[in-house]
Amino acid sequence: MRAYRPEDKLSRTQMLSTELDQETVLMSIDAGAYYGLKGTAQCIWEQLETPLTFSALVDRLVEEYEVSPEICAADLSGFLAEMEREGLLRVE
Amino acid sequence: MSLNAYWAYGLRIHAELECPELPSLPDATSNPDVTVRLLPASVEALETPDSGSYEVQPGVFRLMVPGVARYRVEAGSRIFVTPLPDVPAERLRLFLLGSAMGALLYQRGLFPLHGSAVETPWGAMIFVGAQGAGKSTLAAHFHRRGYRLLSDDVCAVESKPEGLQILPALARFRLCADAYERLQSPQGASFDVDKFVVPMGEGYCPDPAPLTAIHILADHESATPVFEVLRGFDRVQQLLENLYRPHYLKGQATQADLMRMAGMIAQQATMVAVARHRDPEAIEELVSFLESKWTRRFTLNQLPAATKEKN
Repeated sequence: MRAYRPEDKLSRTQMLSTELDQETVLMSIDAGAYYGLKGTAQCIWEQLETPLTFSALVDRLVEEYEVSPEICAADLSGFLAEMEREGLLRVE
Repeated sequence: MSLNAYWAYGLRIHAELECPELPSLPDATSNPDVTVRLLPASVEALETPDSGSYEVQPGVFRLMVPGVARYRVEAGSRIFVTPLPDVPAERLRLFLLGSAMGALLYQRGLFPLHGSAVETPWGAMIFVGAQGAGKSTLAAHFHRRGYRLLSDDVCAVESKPEGLQILPALARFRLCADAYERLQSPQGASFDVDKFVVPMGEGYCPDPAPLTAIHILADHESATPVFEVLRGFDRVQQLLENLYRPHYLKGQATQADLMRMAGMIAQQATMVAVARHRDPEAIEELVSFLESKWTRRFTLNQLPAATKEKN
């Protein structure tokens, strides 16, 4: 699995988005792909509105959800890697 | 140059060329929302893209149709047409009222769906679907049954404080503009001007109507039609895929607003997948089928008085 360093700077890519039934719907106009985000995924997308380091994102999620930093970091890595693959996330 | 005044998509249009497809506006004195001007070739030639292409920038749309004209659409309010030599007027209007007007609707932040709409006692109903799905044919059958047509080919949805509205408009030569633009044939395609002529007056609804439902037409093998209300985020996908000239969305200053509007439309209007057998004989049955679905689904909400009477 893709490993993220605490200091990795994460920013979401520019996407068209809309809200529907408590879901965030994203559209990639170039790929013609659609994504529906709800729950934790939606929360992560909102957190990334302004660029954030990996560790800062983990801190925020630990605050929001009852989860240990270790488990949070592991789960988050999987989701971020998926976002990266889909071109929704930039990592510097 | 004489000035012609028209009324379509809720806009007062003043045009330097005659557009008999559009409803006339008796009062030509008030300020127009949109002007259509003819430009001589010398002015426009250097500013438009190469032959057979279009260009979308925030607030500016350019289209070059080989053998026909160059079009420039600005700020949702000005259309400039530079005809190429010897182009027949109906070809000029084909792309003016299709592609150029479509781009103008995007610029104005209206949501232009590729489909036809009829006014019903349950609100406005739109039919969309792939090329040749039978959108106009179905609308024409409803029209024959006495429903007023709101728009053919392009349905502009506007978001108003009181809800979503369909703006009425007419366009008579729908499918060929599309097909021609895709072909980009330098010698020009054969233009079969649409035979479906909408009578003005009683058969046409000149006022905006509240949007109730959007029907996505598809074929299936069974003789029994299916009416399936859509859920989930593929409603947004369906809306964007059924935009008029969806490739004009990219680059518009309004694209973020239009995406948000897709969410609103998906939320507020009922979206239905309608699958039916493509037997031309079955179309009258489909009309009755939809009428009964609409009666059951939408009567209670909107016409409480009518349901009371029945009991």
